[in-house]
Amino acid sequence: MIKDGDYVAIFNSIHRVMEAERLLKDKQLKILLIPAPRALAADCGLAIRYAEDVRPEVEGALAEAGLLPRDSYRKNGDTFEKIGEDNEQP
Amino acid sequence: MSNLDVRGMACPLPVVQVKRALESAQGELRVLLDDGAPRENVKRFAQGRGYQVQEERLEDGIAFTITGPGAAAAPRQVVPAEAGGATVMLIGTDRLGDGPEELGRLLMKNFIITLLDMSELPDRIFFVNSGVLLAAQGSEVIEALEGLGNRGVEVLSCGICLDFFKKKELLAAGGVTNMFTIAESMLNARSVVRL
Repeated sequence: MIKDGDYVAIFNSIHRVMEAERLLKDKQLKILLIPAPRALAADCGLAIRYAEDVRPEVEGALAEAGLLPRDSYRKNGDTFEKIGEDNEQP
Repeated sequence: MSNLDVRGMACPLPVVQVKRALESAQGELRVLLDDGAPRENVKRFAQGRGYQVQEERLEDGIAFTITGPGAAAAPRQVVPAEAGGATVMLIGTDRLGDGPEELGRLLMKNFIITLLDMSELPDRIFFVNSGVLLAAQGSEVIEALEGLGNRGVEVLSCGICLDFFKKKELLAAGGVTNMFTIAESMLNARSVVRL
Protein backbone atom coordinates (compact mmCIF):
# COMPACT_ATOMS: atom_id res chain seq x y z
CA MET A 1 0.00 0.00 0.00
CA ILE A 2 2.99 2.32 0.47
CA LYS A 3 5.16 2.70 -2.59
CA ASP A 4 8.73 3.87 -2.68
CA GLY A 5 8.76 7.66 -2.44
CA ASP A 6 5.29 7.88 -0.84
CA TYR A 7 4.84 9.99 2.28
CA VAL A 8 3.20 8.82 5.50
CA ALA A 9 1.91 11.25 8.09
CA ILE A 10 1.21 9.88 11.57
CA PHE A 11 -1.10 11.69 13.97
CA ASN A 12 -1.36 11.39 17.70
CA SER A 13 -5.10 10.94 17.96
CA ILE A 14 -7.89 9.31 16.03
CA HIS A 15 -9.85 12.58 16.04
CA ARG A 16 -7.01 14.54 14.48
CA VAL A 17 -6.38 11.98 11.77
CA MET A 18 -10.09 11.84 10.91
CA GLU A 19 -10.26 15.61 10.83
CA ALA A 20 -7.19 15.71 8.59
CA GLU A 21 -8.70 13.10 6.26
CA ARG A 22 -11.94 15.10 5.98
CA LEU A 23 -10.04 18.32 5.30
CA LEU A 24 -7.85 16.79 2.58
CA LYS A 25 -10.75 14.97 0.95
CA ASP A 26 -12.80 18.15 0.90
CA LYS A 27 -9.93 19.66 -1.05
CA GLN A 28 -10.07 16.62 -3.36
CA LEU A 29 -6.44 15.74 -2.71
CA LYS A 30 -5.40 12.19 -3.49
CA ILE A 31 -4.70 10.75 -0.06
CA LEU A 32 -5.57 7.53 1.71
CA LEU A 33 -6.10 6.81 5.37
CA ILE A 34 -4.15 3.63 6.13
CA PRO A 35 -3.04 1.66 9.18
CA ALA A 36 0.23 3.16 10.38
CA PRO A 37 3.10 0.85 9.39
CA ARG A 38 4.18 -1.33 12.30
CA ALA A 39 7.71 -0.03 12.02
CA LEU A 40 6.47 3.46 12.80
CA ALA A 41 3.73 3.01 15.40
CA ALA A 42 3.38 0.32 18.00
CA ASP A 43 -0.21 1.22 18.91
CA CYS A 44 -3.10 0.82 16.52
CA GLY A 45 -2.30 4.06 14.83
CA LEU A 46 -3.55 5.51 11.61
CA ALA A 47 -1.68 7.40 9.00
CA ILE A 48 -2.35 9.41 5.88
CA ARG A 49 -0.54 8.31 2.76
CA TYR A 50 0.17 10.74 -0.04
CA ALA A 51 2.47 10.95 -3.03
CA GLU A 52 5.12 13.47 -3.99
CA ASP A 53 2.90 15.20 -6.54
CA VAL A 54 0.41 16.38 -3.90
CA ARG A 55 2.91 16.91 -1.09
CA PRO A 56 2.90 20.73 -1.12
CA GLU A 57 -0.91 20.89 -1.12
CA VAL A 58 -1.31 18.24 1.58
CA GLU A 59 1.29 19.65 3.94
CA GLY A 60 0.17 23.22 3.26
CA ALA A 61 -3.46 22.43 4.00
CA LEU A 62 -2.59 20.59 7.22
CA ALA A 63 -0.37 23.42 8.41
CA GLU A 64 -2.99 26.03 7.60
CA ALA A 65 -5.62 24.11 9.55
CA GLY A 66 -3.32 23.52 12.53
CA LEU A 67 -3.40 19.79 11.88
CA LEU A 68 0.28 19.05 11.61
CA PRO A 69 1.01 15.35 11.98
CA ARG A 70 3.05 14.06 14.91
CA ASP A 71 5.64 12.62 12.52
CA SER A 72 6.07 12.39 8.78
CA TYR A 73 8.09 9.85 6.87
CA ARG A 74 9.10 9.09 3.33
CA LYS A 75 9.31 5.47 2.18
CA ASN A 76 12.78 4.73 0.95
CA GLY A 77 13.22 1.11 -0.07
CA ASP A 78 12.52 -1.05 2.97
CA THR A 79 12.87 1.81 5.42
CA PHE A 80 11.06 4.98 6.37
CA GLU A 81 13.04 8.18 6.44
CA LYS A 82 11.80 10.74 8.93
CA ILE A 83 11.19 14.17 7.46
CA GLY A 84 10.79 17.44 9.31
CA GLU A 85 10.62 18.03 13.04
CA ASP A 86 8.41 16.47 15.69
CA ASN A 87 5.10 18.27 15.91
CA GLU A 88 3.62 17.23 19.22
CA GLN A 89 0.03 18.45 19.36
CA PRO A 90 -2.42 18.30 22.24
CA MET B 1 0.45 -32.20 -17.16
CA SER B 2 -2.51 -29.82 -16.92
CA ASN B 3 -2.78 -26.75 -19.14
CA LEU B 4 -4.27 -23.35 -18.46
CA ASP B 5 -4.50 -20.27 -20.65
CA VAL B 6 -5.05 -16.99 -18.80
CA ARG B 7 -3.92 -14.65 -21.59
CA GLY B 8 -6.12 -11.63 -21.98
CA MET B 9 -7.49 -11.85 -18.43
CA ALA B 10 -7.36 -8.81 -16.18
CA CYS B 11 -5.69 -8.94 -12.76
CA PRO B 12 -6.30 -10.65 -10.41
CA LEU B 13 -8.04 -13.31 -12.51
CA PRO B 14 -4.80 -14.97 -13.68
CA VAL B 15 -3.76 -15.59 -10.06
CA VAL B 16 -7.22 -16.83 -9.11
CA GLN B 17 -7.34 -19.24 -12.06
CA VAL B 18 -3.83 -20.54 -11.37
CA LYS B 19 -4.68 -21.00 -7.71
CA ARG B 20 -7.75 -23.07 -8.60
CA ALA B 21 -5.78 -25.12 -11.10
CA LEU B 22 -3.02 -25.82 -8.58
CA GLU B 23 -5.58 -26.97 -6.04
CA SER B 24 -6.80 -29.66 -8.39
CA ALA B 25 -3.72 -30.28 -10.57
CA GLN B 26 -1.93 -33.58 -10.60
CA GLY B 27 1.73 -33.14 -11.45
CA GLU B 28 2.88 -30.18 -13.49
CA LEU B 29 0.78 -27.23 -14.55
CA ARG B 30 1.59 -25.33 -17.75
CA VAL B 31 0.19 -21.81 -17.82
CA LEU B 32 0.11 -19.42 -20.75
CA LEU B 33 -0.08 -15.83 -19.62
CA ASP B 34 0.62 -12.25 -20.64
CA ASP B 35 3.84 -10.48 -19.83
CA GLY B 36 3.81 -7.68 -17.26
CA ALA B 37 1.64 -7.73 -14.14
CA PRO B 38 0.06 -11.20 -14.72
CA ARG B 39 3.53 -12.73 -15.16
CA GLU B 40 4.88 -11.09 -12.02
CA ASN B 41 1.82 -11.75 -9.87
CA VAL B 42 1.44 -15.41 -10.82
CA LYS B 43 5.15 -16.05 -10.34
CA ARG B 44 5.16 -14.36 -6.92
CA PHE B 45 2.05 -16.24 -5.88
CA ALA B 46 3.35 -19.67 -6.95
CA GLN B 47 6.84 -19.20 -5.55
CA GLY B 48 5.37 -17.81 -2.34
CA ARG B 49 3.61 -21.12 -1.88
CA GLY B 50 6.72 -23.15 -2.49
CA TYR B 51 6.18 -24.06 -6.15
CA GLN B 52 8.96 -24.01 -8.72
CA VAL B 53 8.29 -21.89 -11.77
CA GLN B 54 10.10 -22.42 -15.06
CA GLU B 55 9.61 -19.63 -17.52
CA GLU B 56 9.61 -19.71 -21.30
CA ARG B 57 9.12 -16.68 -23.53
CA LEU B 58 6.70 -17.24 -26.41
CA GLU B 59 5.88 -15.08 -29.41
CA ASP B 60 2.52 -14.22 -27.90
CA GLY B 61 3.18 -14.25 -24.18
CA ILE B 62 4.88 -16.29 -21.51
CA ALA B 63 4.62 -19.96 -20.56
CA PHE B 64 5.15 -21.10 -16.99
CA THR B 65 5.69 -24.69 -16.04
CA ILE B 66 4.75 -24.91 -12.38
CA THR B 67 5.81 -27.91 -10.37
CA GLY B 68 4.63 -28.76 -6.89
CA PRO B 69 6.60 -28.23 -3.73
CA GLY B 70 5.94 -31.74 -2.44
CA ALA B 71 3.04 -33.14 -0.50
CA ALA B 72 4.22 -32.05 2.94
CA ALA B 73 4.51 -28.42 1.92
CA ALA B 74 1.42 -28.33 -0.24
CA PRO B 75 -1.67 -29.33 1.68
CA ARG B 76 -3.72 -27.10 -0.61
CA GLN B 77 -2.85 -29.36 -3.52
CA VAL B 78 -4.32 -32.45 -1.97
CA VAL B 79 -7.28 -30.84 -0.22
CA PRO B 80 -9.49 -29.16 -2.79
CA ALA B 81 -10.91 -25.95 -1.36
CA GLU B 82 -14.52 -27.03 -1.74
CA ALA B 83 -13.79 -30.33 0.04
CA GLY B 84 -12.99 -28.66 3.34
CA GLY B 85 -9.70 -26.80 3.06
CA ALA B 86 -10.89 -23.26 2.57
CA THR B 87 -11.04 -20.36 4.95
CA VAL B 88 -13.90 -18.09 3.97
CA MET B 89 -14.54 -14.56 5.10
CA LEU B 90 -18.05 -13.14 4.85
CA ILE B 91 -18.29 -9.36 4.97
CA GLY B 92 -21.91 -8.29 5.29
CA THR B 93 -21.46 -4.60 5.91
CA ASP B 94 -19.27 -1.70 4.90
CA ARG B 95 -18.64 -0.89 8.57
CA LEU B 96 -16.82 -2.74 11.32
CA GLY B 97 -18.56 -2.98 14.67
CA ASP B 98 -21.40 -1.04 16.22
CA GLY B 99 -20.99 2.64 16.91
CA PRO B 100 -20.55 5.85 14.98
CA GLU B 101 -20.90 5.30 11.24
CA GLU B 102 -17.75 7.24 10.38
CA LEU B 103 -15.64 5.21 12.81
CA GLY B 104 -17.15 1.95 11.56
CA ARG B 105 -16.28 2.75 7.95
CA LEU B 106 -12.77 3.77 8.93
CA LEU B 107 -12.25 0.55 10.90
CA MET B 108 -13.47 -1.63 8.03
CA LYS B 109 -11.16 0.13 5.62
CA ASN B 110 -8.32 -0.30 8.09
CA PHE B 111 -9.13 -3.98 8.57
CA ILE B 112 -9.05 -4.76 4.86
CA ILE B 113 -5.81 -2.90 4.29
CA THR B 114 -4.27 -4.64 7.30
CA LEU B 115 -5.08 -8.05 5.78
CA LEU B 116 -2.34 -7.32 3.26
CA ASP B 117 0.20 -7.63 6.07
CA MET B 118 -1.01 -11.05 7.17
CA SER B 119 0.95 -14.15 6.26
CA GLU B 120 -2.17 -16.35 6.34
CA LEU B 121 -5.01 -15.09 4.21
CA PRO B 122 -8.53 -16.35 3.65
CA ASP B 123 -9.05 -18.31 0.45
CA ARG B 124 -12.18 -16.33 -0.36
CA ILE B 125 -13.81 -13.14 0.73
CA PHE B 126 -17.52 -12.78 0.01
CA PHE B 127 -19.10 -9.35 0.14
CA VAL B 128 -22.84 -9.28 0.75
CA ASN B 129 -25.40 -6.58 1.55
CA SER B 130 -23.69 -3.19 2.02
CA GLY B 131 -20.35 -5.01 2.07
CA VAL B 132 -20.43 -4.95 -1.75
CA LEU B 133 -19.92 -1.19 -1.62
CA LEU B 134 -16.34 -1.94 -0.56
CA ALA B 135 -15.67 -3.62 -3.91
CA ALA B 136 -17.39 -1.00 -6.06
CA GLN B 137 -16.10 2.16 -7.68
CA GLY B 138 -15.59 4.91 -5.14
CA SER B 139 -14.41 2.52 -2.44
CA GLU B 140 -11.06 3.30 -0.87
CA VAL B 141 -10.06 -0.33 -0.52
CA ILE B 142 -9.97 -1.24 -4.21
CA GLU B 143 -6.17 -1.10 -4.23
CA ALA B 144 -6.06 -3.38 -1.16
CA LEU B 145 -8.57 -5.83 -2.66
CA GLU B 146 -6.51 -6.01 -5.84
CA GLY B 147 -3.46 -6.70 -3.69
CA LEU B 148 -5.31 -9.54 -1.95
CA GLY B 149 -6.42 -10.88 -5.33
CA ASN B 150 -2.84 -10.90 -6.50
CA ARG B 151 -1.97 -13.02 -3.47
CA GLY B 152 -4.56 -15.61 -4.42
CA VAL B 153 -7.57 -14.47 -2.42
CA GLU B 154 -10.80 -14.77 -4.39
CA VAL B 155 -12.80 -11.59 -3.91
CA LEU B 156 -16.44 -12.10 -4.77
CA SER B 157 -19.49 -9.86 -4.43
CA CYS B 158 -23.12 -10.90 -4.25
CA GLY B 159 -24.83 -10.09 -7.56
CA ILE B 160 -28.22 -9.40 -6.01
CA CYS B 161 -26.64 -6.93 -3.61
CA LEU B 162 -24.75 -5.11 -6.38
CA ASP B 163 -28.02 -4.88 -8.28
CA PHE B 164 -29.87 -3.55 -5.20
CA PHE B 165 -27.30 -0.79 -4.67
CA LYS B 166 -27.19 -0.09 -8.44
CA LYS B 167 -23.51 -0.97 -8.49
CA LYS B 168 -23.63 -3.88 -10.93
CA GLU B 169 -21.79 -1.97 -13.61
CA LEU B 170 -19.48 -0.36 -11.08
CA LEU B 171 -17.78 -3.40 -9.59
CA ALA B 172 -14.11 -2.45 -9.36
CA ALA B 173 -12.47 -5.41 -7.60
CA GLY B 174 -13.03 -9.15 -7.86
CA GLY B 175 -15.95 -10.92 -9.43
CA VAL B 176 -19.67 -11.46 -9.02
CA THR B 177 -21.13 -14.51 -7.38
CA ASN B 178 -24.50 -15.94 -6.34
CA MET B 179 -26.01 -17.24 -3.13
CA PHE B 180 -25.54 -20.86 -4.18
CA THR B 181 -21.77 -20.43 -4.32
CA ILE B 182 -21.72 -18.40 -1.10
CA ALA B 183 -23.78 -20.99 0.81
CA GLU B 184 -21.82 -23.92 -0.58
CA SER B 185 -18.47 -22.34 0.20
CA MET B 186 -19.51 -21.48 3.75
CA LEU B 187 -20.87 -24.94 4.47
CA ASN B 188 -17.79 -26.65 3.07
CA ALA B 189 -15.26 -24.30 4.56
CA ARG B 190 -12.74 -25.25 7.20
CA SER B 191 -13.53 -21.99 8.92
CA VAL B 192 -15.76 -19.00 8.29
CA VAL B 193 -14.89 -15.54 9.56
CA ARG B 194 -17.94 -13.30 9.59
CA LEU B 195 -17.83 -9.54 9.87
